[in-house]
Amino acid sequence: MTNALQPSEFEVQDIMINMGPQHPATHGVFRMVLQVDGEIVKDLIPHIGYMHRGAEKLSETMDFRQGIGFMDRTEYLAQFNAELGYVMAVEKLMDIEVPERAQWIRMILCELNRLSSHFMFTGAFGTDAGVFGTSFTYAFRWREEILDLFEEITGDRLMYAYFRPGGLAWEVTDNFEARVRQVLELSKQGIKDIDGLVTNNEIFKARTQGVGVLTKEQAIDWGTTGPVLRASGVQMDIRRDEPYLFYDQVEFDIPIGQNGDVYDRWCLRMEEMRQSVRIVEQCLTKLQPGPIQPERMPRMLRTPPGEVYIRTEAPRGEFGIYMVSKGGNRPHRLKVRSSCFANLQSLRDMSIGQYVADAVLALGSMDIVLCEVDR
Amino acid sequence: MKGILKSMATTLSTFARKPVTREYPETHKELPERDRAFPVLLWDKEAHEPFCTGCHACERACPVECMTVLMKDNPAHKSVGGESGRRKIIDKFWIDYGRCMRCNICVEVCNFDAITMNNTWEGHEKSVYDRADLVQDLPMLLSEHRSGELKPWVNE
Amino acid sequence: MNTLFGLPVALDALIRVLIIVSVMTVVVMGLIYVERKVLARFQQRLGPTRTGPMGLLQSVADALKLVAKEDVRPTNADPWVFELAPFLVFVPTFLGFVVVPFALAWSVRDLDLGLFYILAVSSVNIVGWVMAGWASDNRYAMLGALRAVAQSISYELPLVMAMIAVAMVADSLNISEIVRGQAMVPNIVWQPLPFLMFFICMLAEMNRPPFDIPVGESEVVGGPYVEYSGIRWSMFFLAEYASMFIMALLGAAVFLGGSAWPFGEQLGLPWQILLTVAKAGLIIFVVIWTRASFPRLRIDQLMSFSWKLLLPVSFAQIMVNGLILVYDLPYGMSHTLLAVCSAAGVLFVASAINRSVTSPRPRPLLIPRSEAAR
Repeated sequence: MTNALQPSEFEVQDIMINMGPQHPATHGVFRMVLQVDGEIVKDLIPHIGYMHRGAEKLSETMDFRQGIGFMDRTEYLAQFNAELGYVMAVEKLMDIEVPERAQWIRMILCELNRLSSHFMFTGAFGTDAGVFGTSFTYAFRWREEILDLFEEITGDRLMYAYFRPGGLAWEVTDNFEARVRQVLELSKQGIKDIDGLVTNNEIFKARTQGVGVLTKEQAIDWGTTGPVLRASGVQMDIRRDEPYLFYDQVEFDIPIGQNGDVYDRWCLRMEEMRQSVRIVEQCLTKLQPGPIQPERMPRMLRTPPGEVYIRTEAPRGEFGIYMVSKGGNRPHRLKVRSSCFANLQSLRDMSIGQYVADAVLALGSMDIVLCEVDR
Repeated sequence: MKGILKSMATTLSTFARKPVTREYPETHKELPERDRAFPVLLWDKEAHEPFCTGCHACERACPVECMTVLMKDNPAHKSVGGESGRRKIIDKFWIDYGRCMRCNICVEVCNFDAITMNNTWEGHEKSVYDRADLVQDLPMLLSEHRSGELKPWVNE
Repeated sequence: MNTLFGLPVALDALIRVLIIVSVMTVVVMGLIYVERKVLARFQQRLGPTRTGPMGLLQSVADALKLVAKEDVRPTNADPWVFELAPFLVFVPTFLGFVVVPFALAWSVRDLDLGLFYILAVSSVNIVGWVMAGWASDNRYAMLGALRAVAQSISYELPLVMAMIAVAMVADSLNISEIVRGQAMVPNIVWQPLPFLMFFICMLAEMNRPPFDIPVGESEVVGGPYVEYSGIRWSMFFLAEYASMFIMALLGAAVFLGGSAWPFGEQLGLPWQILLTVAKAGLIIFVVIWTRASFPRLRIDQLMSFSWKLLLPVSFAQIMVNGLILVYDLPYGMSHTLLAVCSAAGVLFVASAINRSVTSPRPRPLLIPRSEAAR
């Protein structure tokens, strides 16, 4: 047996696995190159940019009304939240007072949008974890009710283009309150369904607990926001810390995770959905009839020169709009501070040393929207 | 084991529920009044001509530049012996539905209420084999409202 | 040996094989339809509705499409191994049908080592999986094939051990004998733990969720199948469902009393076939149900579940069975003891699953908004 190959004579190589851009678990077109030793991830190189459409640059050529539609397309799961950031930036530049009713309706729609976005997360993440389509169909079935409501109000299922600088494009439907209450009841049922299907399942717990851990320090270092940051134990929610709209007039709880793993992120989002229902219920009691646009609105929106940064708490974290105006009817420069882009940076820290299947879960638990990452 | 059994109970409870699928081409969901498909032009049924005067307002406001508008003198204007009050009228109008992003801005800027978002299923079912077929000309844009299929939603 | 119409043995065997292959292929295609419909109901969908009345011809349409599709082979694939692999999965699976009793006197061959035979042939197809994964020259396929091997080997053992435990109680390895022995009480009453283990291992052997790790869509995108298309892919697919059918029939025969319980002997052939189909159908329903309900396990959890829990427990079950059966106790007493011990084993497994995941961990805090910021 002297001719047998000794371990020192051959080279042991890690395999590079190219996951994406076309891969069922990458939530769009995201590519990660995994260097694996068997099943263990040794290194992870994320590649983004496949969905870059230059939305920021394009917005510089759009006047303030046209730009709203592009914000929808930047963040296609939380469109109202994205629109809100944009119109709030314009309002702040122009110093417009928004009527109370418009603010409340905005808040209701944003929270419902958070609900629908989190439904989407539960569905997609369940599929990542391997629940064959069931969580996905559950989530879509209940999200559909919310989208139907949005369609009745705005006329479109996804690209609403409904918020306007100063208020709303048009009045909501007459049966708005009754419909919202109905949708809330259905959503509660949906939350119960998904909760029952996944949250307490031992297999799901075994798969997610202790996986993709991000410590408090790492989470802050990478600039993560939203549920990813809160799951790591940092108490930060822009709705509480820098209230916009009327978030300072409603009561809600902010869930804070203590382990920073994938399971905490899941539980946090489930809890946020319940809190969103609670917020909308409070908003409905405070909704009064009134105007939805300021009395005196210029026909052509022109801002004085200046710059402004607006941060809002979108479902995936801090959605910021930095707008520079040199006067005129369009922004000189628009920068979207994308929550997913910052969150995605922490993927490498979450995945190294874990199994390939865990890397998929870590990616899924961040609830990325590639459109928002690449813009 | 409790969670596993709970999962199975949840799926069993949905097994007993009625499926929510709509079989699309046979059964259409009822569209809300405000539904926005693609923009179409409105037909003035009293004057028997389009409302549109070809003023280019929508063309200028369109963020994706999907419209092309050409104006002409109205041959049916009072000054030339007709009955219409419109001095200018639309000559040619193209909308490229392949580019349109359905933002509703053209409807908002129109001074003559001549354009609206189609809220019928015909407005949504526009699939074609060739992109060029998505470019709609004036008769196509007018036909929906002219035939009475379309009841436009008016935002007061 | 009894042959059909007194034909020579070889001709008789050929006819039986042809019947099995043709009939079972149709049955399996029906099974695919059933799974799609049932799974759809679990997800509040309708499932296939377009092809034929209630979508009944969906499998036929799929089969036609797959046959008509181009058979693609990657340039760098190992041609012989690549093309041979589907057969090595397909043939052993269908070999299993040889000993399955559809009614008391209805099986292709009534082998004395039937149980042994079916377990042996059903594990051959793993060779085909490895060949497929290796020959595809694709890293996902390779990863999937290696996962498949690891999984198959680790779950083969508890499966065999569970079967041995039942065979000890039934006192036979002949499946027809085992079925006849259950005319009064099905084996599941005496041996619930081996049934549980059989069910779990069956899921793992068939790569069904929650053990669909080798083909896990969100990780290895179909595993060994990833480079296959057309008719070759459909052979893998057919084999998967055929093995599900065989395993369900086996479970029905060995644990649920097959065609013998209740009143199989007295009520005749149609009742026996109905019993077999109903019991196999029940198992298949539960298999689809688990598919709709569970997330996927991870490979290390899967392995440790088998080696650290199922295998020791199955050894314990065999030892307990041996200890009870070695003393010639009266029938009622010995079997009651068996049932009690086995049920205790089930409780142990359940609590072990519980313990392994419900470690105490801090739950998320709820901070009210009104609490001062920072």
